[in-house]
Amino acid sequence: MPIAHIMASGMTGMRAAGDLVARMQFSKSMRIGDAKDFVSKKLGVSNADLSDEYVMREIREELDIGVITSVPGCAKGIAAKMNIEKLLGININCCDKFRETIA
Amino acid sequence: MATEYFLRMGDGAKIFMSKEDIMADIEAGCADAADLGDIPSLSEDEMEKMLDIITSPGRIVGVEPGMEVPVTHDIGAIRIDGDQGNSGVGIPASRLVGSMIHERAFGADTMELGHIDYSYKPVKPVISQEQQTMEVCQQNMVIPMLYGAMPNMGLYYTPDGPFENPGDLMKAFKISEAQESIKSAGDHGIRDMVWIMQRLQHVGCDGVNFDTIGAAGDGDMYASLNSIEALRKEFPNMYINAGMAGELVLGMHGELEYDGTVLAGLWPHQQVGLAAKAGANIFGPVCNTNTSKTSAWNLGRSVTFMKSAVEASPIPCHVDMGMGVGGIPMLETPPIDAVTRASKAMVEIAGVDGI
Amino acid sequence: MNQVGVLFERGKLFLPHVMMAADAMSAGVELLQDELASGEGSAKLGVIVNGTVEGDVHDIGKAIVSTMLQAAGFEVHDIGRDVPLQNFIDKIKETNADMVGLSALMTTTLQGQKEVIELLKENGMRDDVKVMVGGAPATDAWAKKIGADCYAENASEAVVKAKELLL
Repeated sequence: MPIAHIMASGMTGMRAAGDLVARMQFSKSMRIGDAKDFVSKKLGVSNADLSDEYVMREIREELDIGVITSVPGCAKGIAAKMNIEKLLGININCCDKFRETIA
Repeated sequence: MATEYFLRMGDGAKIFMSKEDIMADIEAGCADAADLGDIPSLSEDEMEKMLDIITSPGRIVGVEPGMEVPVTHDIGAIRIDGDQGNSGVGIPASRLVGSMIHERAFGADTMELGHIDYSYKPVKPVISQEQQTMEVCQQNMVIPMLYGAMPNMGLYYTPDGPFENPGDLMKAFKISEAQESIKSAGDHGIRDMVWIMQRLQHVGCDGVNFDTIGAAGDGDMYASLNSIEALRKEFPNMYINAGMAGELVLGMHGELEYDGTVLAGLWPHQQVGLAAKAGANIFGPVCNTNTSKTSAWNLGRSVTFMKSAVEASPIPCHVDMGMGVGGIPMLETPPIDAVTRASKAMVEIAGVDGI
Repeated sequence: MNQVGVLFERGKLFLPHVMMAADAMSAGVELLQDELASGEGSAKLGVIVNGTVEGDVHDIGKAIVSTMLQAAGFEVHDIGRDVPLQNFIDKIKETNADMVGLSALMTTTLQGQKEVIELLKENGMRDDVKVMVGGAPATDAWAKKIGADCYAENASEAVVKAKELLL
């Protein structure tokens, strides 16, 4: 069933920019329109591009914010999230904890 | 004979109806929600749009490009490895693997970690295990990763918990004793839920999902809202999702309040303001499916309730659309035609911020 | 009490109010007993054994159903949750019940409802006892499939269905 929802209505997470829009909803309580506007402005794309795998694949690789396939050398896990922090101007808890650990 | 279109009953069975009959059911479902919640029904145009979605000839339908919304995931990876009647498919996989499957294979927008019982109370004795798993998930995953479970006040009542069962007390006409028991269980629940989430935040968790708030009535909501308030105060950046159990907060106690509002008897558009006030980032309104009615009736009713919640809400609304809620049939394997139709209607008519 | 049931379903009255109303009704009936034809006022609508089947610890929905049935005038014996199936049979015999309510909230425990019906048949009791099923995974189709007499969507409907079958 989750796949049916994702196919029908979802932003498809890391395939496109769903995780980024969701982060703005969760971190700043942004409604869907505001969250999309915010992320698309940061990425320099249109709101419709945020769900477009063709557009977002290249952008995710360029910004090194995590890509859906296991590309060797691309940032993964906390490394990718640290780049997301910079892109969106937010702090992510596990990144804070990671920084505390290596400080 | 009029052309007939296929749709579903609330239990998932396939049925055939004429356009006129489907429209009549949509209208009746919308009217039921409007009557109960004292909210506006859908407009004629919106009902026509719902009719178009339901009678769409394709097996799968989807939102118009550009209208996609984040799809968040509750119940954690139990969907993958669960095999004890919790809708899991019984694939032996760790929770990290299950979560990464959601991220990398399913294209989920957010994920959550949950344990097999999926209630907060039993997390306390296994908190170190949960912290360790959360830490590993955070190290490996990119999408937002919450911790989720049910407040489930039922576990605080006898024979499972320390407080006398209010159901038994109520039946013995011991009303004030029952109310006292509900309040005490709620206070105990707040302590547990806050304690658990303090420890998970400590290991890098993104936030919390209170799943099925109100399942045990207003005491459940009292505990959840107060937990949210305490957590928000302690963790200003924590992601907090407040997901409901049903469209109506059942009055088991009847007099519990939050912020001066009696919790019992609240409908989605009245619940959302309190969730926001407590400090939730996202509200998950719910409307349960009536298995004896058609998907047209259920979707009309559900979208009407959700639309009013979305309009009243100061925060994003991620509508709950699992089995048996949100116009989706009550079946462990909900038919894809019904799921995608409900999904599209909820986004394009109710205007939800996510699913 | 009928009106109280309607208001409960609509979220205007809550469980304590239902019980207060039921308590008031009982007191009123007691006061009026002498004025009514012998026994007419105090007669119970029927005897119902209600419980959640074995393996299923869910209690709250079933408890609400019991409360609403009791408030409507039925004599209700709530035998709890996670109830061994034989206990339903024993309690029905002990109370000479007219109906049994079987609750289950999980797909895995739903089967228990069917097994109680089979036990009723084995004990030669099926014709004397009506069977009502409920709980999230139960449906009208399931009730028909296992040979139950009715399915109730919620507590208010349980009262309506019980009255239809027993009165």
